[in-house]
Amino acid sequence: MSVGHVQRAIESIGIPTVGVYVRSFGHIPGLMGVARAIVTKHPMGRPLGAPGDHERQRHVVEQALALLARGEQTITELPEAWRTRPS
Amino acid sequence: MEDSAADVAESIEELRRSFSYGSRSNLNFKYLKDLTDGEFGDFLEELLAAIAATTDDGDAARVTDVAYRWQVHGYAGHLGDPADFPHRHDDKPIALLGKPLSESRVALLTSSGHFVEGDDPEPFGVVGMTQAEAEARIMDFIRDAPTLSAIPIDTPAERLRVRHGGYPIASAARDHQVALPLGHLRALADEGTIGEVAPVAYSFVGATSQARLRKEVAPAWAERLRHDDVDAVLLVPV
Repeated sequence: MSVGHVQRAIESIGIPTVGVYVRSFGHIPGLMGVARAIVTKHPMGRPLGAPGDHERQRHVVEQALALLARGEQTITELPEAWRTRPS
Repeated sequence: MEDSAADVAESIEELRRSFSYGSRSNLNFKYLKDLTDGEFGDFLEELLAAIAATTDDGDAARVTDVAYRWQVHGYAGHLGDPADFPHRHDDKPIALLGKPLSESRVALLTSSGHFVEGDDPEPFGVVGMTQAEAEARIMDFIRDAPTLSAIPIDTPAERLRVRHGGYPIASAARDHQVALPLGHLRALADEGTIGEVAPVAYSFVGATSQARLRKEVAPAWAERLRHDDVDAVLLVPV
């Protein structure tokens, strides 16, 4: 919830935002009316990926930035399942 | 194996709740308090079956999958009826990038509870608060306004600290980029995907007073980002 408030406040003064939410909190951005969100199928505490899985972490960041670049106002769930290391 | 609380009779509900800031506190599993007793039984049954299968083939992914699926289920109902959710908004503020991403200054803000060594926000005036103390004082955090920690984006990983009484920090402590992707953003700037990373990233402890955050703190932080002249913000809740 906390980041939802911050995201709305930033967007309200004209700065576009995107948030990365884990699936357990994936219902929150819609309820709070945030402009853009990526939802990852990751457990709480690891929103971008597992420790050391830099490939997945970077992929999530890239997907979030792509939403910003396209100007879409959507909540997008990424299909990739949780993993502890690159496959 | 520890002696269990002098073998005092314990209900299933008390057992479930003990994982959430109780005698068996484990922030990976605090959602167990939100399951019904029957669901808790189903969770245990699935977990034991997964452990048994893993004993033979070593594929622990099925164990983490059980924990993940029940975590999602546990949190699905933790806000109560969506119609009564006090932070629900039917409007949606929208801003758009005024220039290509490749020319934009992108800032990072997370609720991970990271800070730089030597710049501890010292919650409630406590010097050197431990993670265990932060968990023990979770209700104090939830009543208080949050502090924003400024993190220069070139801070070496060994100087980053994380403390947050609301989520399991072990992963973020091992590799800050699970929630604070400074290196990935710097690389994307070097490659030209984004124009630049704002020189200062921000982190705070998301377990905080929601009313004070919404009314006073979040608007002030937004102005701070405007002062940083950022074009877009990547936010990472934990």
